[in-house]
Amino acid sequence: MSVSGSESAASANKPKYSKFTQQELPACKPLLTPGIVIGAFSLIGIIFVPIGLASLSASQEIVELIDRYDEECVTASDKIGFIQDSKANKACTRKITVPKPMKGPIHVYYQLENFYQNHRRYVQSRSDQQLRDKDYKDPKAVAKACDPEATTGDGSLIVPCGLIAWSLFNDTYAFSVNKKSVTVNKKDIAWASDKNSKFGSNVFPVNFQKGGLIGGGNLNDKLPLSEQEDLIVWMRTAALPTFRKLYGRIETDIMASDEITVVIQNNYNTYSFGGTKAVVLSTASWIGGKNNFIGVAYVAVGGICLLLAMGFVVLYVVKPRALGDPAYLSWNKEAAEYSH
Amino acid sequence: MFWNLTGTRKRQSVVCRFPNGKLVLYCKGADNVIYERLADGNYDIKKTSREHLEQFGSAGLRTLCLAYRDLSMDQYKSWNEKFVQAKSSLRDRDKKLDEVAELIEKDLILIGCTAIEDKLQEGVPACIETLSAAGIKIWVLTGDKMETAINIAYACSLVNNDTKQFIISSETDTIREAEDRGDPVEIARVIKESVKQSLRSYLEEARRSLSNTPERKLAFIIDGRCLMYALDPALRVNLLGLSLICHSVVCCRVSPLQKAQVTSLVRKGARKITLSIGDGANDVSMIQAAHVGIGISGQEGMQAVMASDFAIAQFRYLTDLLLVHGRWSYLRLCKVITYFFYKNLTFTLTQFWFTFQTGFSGQRFYDDWFQSLYNVIFTALPVIMVGLFDKDVSASLSKKYPQLYQEGIRNTFFKWKVIAVWGFFAFYQSIVFYYFTAAASQHGHGSSGKILGQWDVSTMAFTCVVVTVNLRLLMSCNSITRWHYFSVAGSIAAWFLFIFIYSAIMTSFDRQENVYFVIYVLMSTFFFYLTLILVPVIALFGDFLYLSLQRWLFPYDYQVVQEMHKDDPHEYSMIRLPERSHLSPEEARSYAISMLPRENSKHTGFAFDSPGYESFFASQQGVCVPHKPWDVARRASMKQQRQQPQRTGRS
Repeated sequence: MSVSGSESAASANKPKYSKFTQQELPACKPLLTPGIVIGAFSLIGIIFVPIGLASLSASQEIVELIDRYDEECVTASDKIGFIQDSKANKACTRKITVPKPMKGPIHVYYQLENFYQNHRRYVQSRSDQQLRDKDYKDPKAVAKACDPEATTGDGSLIVPCGLIAWSLFNDTYAFSVNKKSVTVNKKDIAWASDKNSKFGSNVFPVNFQKGGLIGGGNLNDKLPLSEQEDLIVWMRTAALPTFRKLYGRIETDIMASDEITVVIQNNYNTYSFGGTKAVVLSTASWIGGKNNFIGVAYVAVGGICLLLAMGFVVLYVVKPRALGDPAYLSWNKEAAEYSH
Repeated sequence: MFWNLTGTRKRQSVVCRFPNGKLVLYCKGADNVIYERLADGNYDIKKTSREHLEQFGSAGLRTLCLAYRDLSMDQYKSWNEKFVQAKSSLRDRDKKLDEVAELIEKDLILIGCTAIEDKLQEGVPACIETLSAAGIKIWVLTGDKMETAINIAYACSLVNNDTKQFIISSETDTIREAEDRGDPVEIARVIKESVKQSLRSYLEEARRSLSNTPERKLAFIIDGRCLMYALDPALRVNLLGLSLICHSVVCCRVSPLQKAQVTSLVRKGARKITLSIGDGANDVSMIQAAHVGIGISGQEGMQAVMASDFAIAQFRYLTDLLLVHGRWSYLRLCKVITYFFYKNLTFTLTQFWFTFQTGFSGQRFYDDWFQSLYNVIFTALPVIMVGLFDKDVSASLSKKYPQLYQEGIRNTFFKWKVIAVWGFFAFYQSIVFYYFTAAASQHGHGSSGKILGQWDVSTMAFTCVVVTVNLRLLMSCNSITRWHYFSVAGSIAAWFLFIFIYSAIMTSFDRQENVYFVIYVLMSTFFFYLTLILVPVIALFGDFLYLSLQRWLFPYDYQVVQEMHKDDPHEYSMIRLPERSHLSPEEARSYAISMLPRENSKHTGFAFDSPGYESFFASQQGVCVPHKPWDVARRASMKQQRQQPQRTGRS
């Protein structure tokens, strides 16, 4: 076989060269050298600590008052019976002293514990199509979605159906500061997207809480769902069994050592399952409510990174290893051991 | 008419009719099979031919013997009937043909012998040395004579003068005596007995040598006939034991079936990964018996290529195949598999922690579409890029440090320890994802004080998971091309694109609009941005710390090599398979001089040196071939050694 013949035959068989197929793409080959490690840790430390301090300081300025009232507001020995009695007087007065000045708007929340809004059967017990569309009346689909609170005893549909709506929180709070009553602004407590799109402006409550068991609050039949902000807030199910939801806002400022009197209509039954209720008053800033967690986390991580950067400096000094020292290759190490 | 040479028959015959009507049977074949069929007498020719054969063998040439026999018309006719019958039989045709051929191929008269020089391909010795340095044990299985095979082994540096050789041959005196007596049962018994004794004594000797002088290399050489008895179940264990202790094994005169049997012996008996490489039709069964079969496409046809798993063009490309591509494939496979488990474990465990706080009701943390598309869109492409392109060291460095191959042999990247580390970090990251996002979302957000719901928290956590898992991949890459950047950025961008679209639409197909507008709500809070920066950093913090400590205190070999060569320029156009020598004459000369043998070896491996050597026959004939200048220097240093093979030939 002649040499030149093989050469042209070989080039005829050779695949077309491209960097992609021949795996010769230009590449960055990062090595975790000491410089990079220390640099990375220092950089994170330097960035995170200020952010953390800013968050913490914002969070520290926020004043948050929590008052748990479910235990003390029911004096009867049969708590469940008391709560379920529709004729009993459930008003309860609580006094809260303000330690630091609170700048308005002051947000009022109700906080529930041990209430599993994230339970599987609870979360799926709703029909969003029914909530936004008044013409949606497919009984089978609604029944499947909202079981067991889909229809009344005689089979007529409930709007809004489902367990979430049925268990609407219905304690009310009336505030007065230093014996002067203040109004709670209950507008704009739900997210705009919910109000505008998820709850229809032409959908009205029908047959709500008319069944045998009453799970929670009642709804004004005259108001469309998109204006029932308590319902909207309640139906945005919470992630954890301890949660709070926005009740309203007090638009005025409150001074330090003012005394706030809350008259609570203690309607909601958390006694059957050992849940707790509390009312929360909180100011808000750019970071939201009082949340030390983020600030603390940032400062902690930043601090640890700076410590580690110093630790690595010490490590590289105490246990030096020349980069690319062939003595560290395992076969050289074995040979070195071997010769001993 | 003629009938063919087969591997088992090892001979080929043809019956000719001369113009004057005389019938002659000519036969050519391997020397042992021809010698078995010679008529008695003509002792001188036989002896001289044998000497010539040994001489040729020591010079590394491949030999054939030629013989003939006169046939009478009647003999031929009666034989031909049987032959035609055998040829047209429907069952056991080959066996019948063999038997019929035996009938006529006997009492042959020896004509003489021939020798062919069969050059080794370019670069074969270097290739074999590199592979030995990589920790791969190399066995040679050839159909050639023992002298030729030993010569090949010397040429390939499998055996040198310091090597302790254990030879089991069927050409010993005891066996020859038994053959002269002619009783096949007794011959078999004698051979088997001698093989058994040899194996046992060599095994002990090898073990002793290994413990006393471990640096002395051991070589085991056995021929096909003895191998037949050594593969017996009774002796197989010793055979395997001895073969595995020795650094190289040479089997000569093996038939294709025996090649396959030896390969299966190692594959099943030693449970090691075997690779066989061959270029002819006689290598097909061996190629198929090994774990990896490689065929060399070339002059001997395409049967080996068609039966193989991989086909290469020249033997020396085996280094590229194994040390470069094989090693990279191992590395990539390990990375892809461990990363896949890690990312799914992280994703799933994050959900798992949620179940403790849902009253164990089984509520899913993530939306259905998030879960379905996680492995399909949001984390799929980057890992494919890693699987295609990741290189720990470049191709030339892989060949320069063949010991790096040991990482694959020792399975360093897929041990339980490695997987446990990935699992631990998946666990740690899942805790970070779940608890940090859940804890940080408890309170009102933004100056409006509104509260986030479950689906907000889960979308936040999912975003953190996708970002972290993709960034973690970049951290574990050894070489990052722009495709990596595209795919990582693209995957994260795909997630955002998806969630922007998905949460902005309401379709009549969904029963619940859980994640409606969730991402826009989230992005209007500082919580989102603070958490998006904090959580991936905390999650990757553990991995980063571990990688830094591991590289500094317990570096892998490839990491040390990377550091040694980190300042090398990128060598993109240098990774071409060497097709022919691009050396200038001066380079060629210095290369050739450097290749001169340094020791006083009886075996020159002459026939198998790289092209450019002087032809054995040309010098015998006194033909003057134009020499290259470096060749002269070469011959000058070789001159003394050439005397010795001729001396042993004549003894």
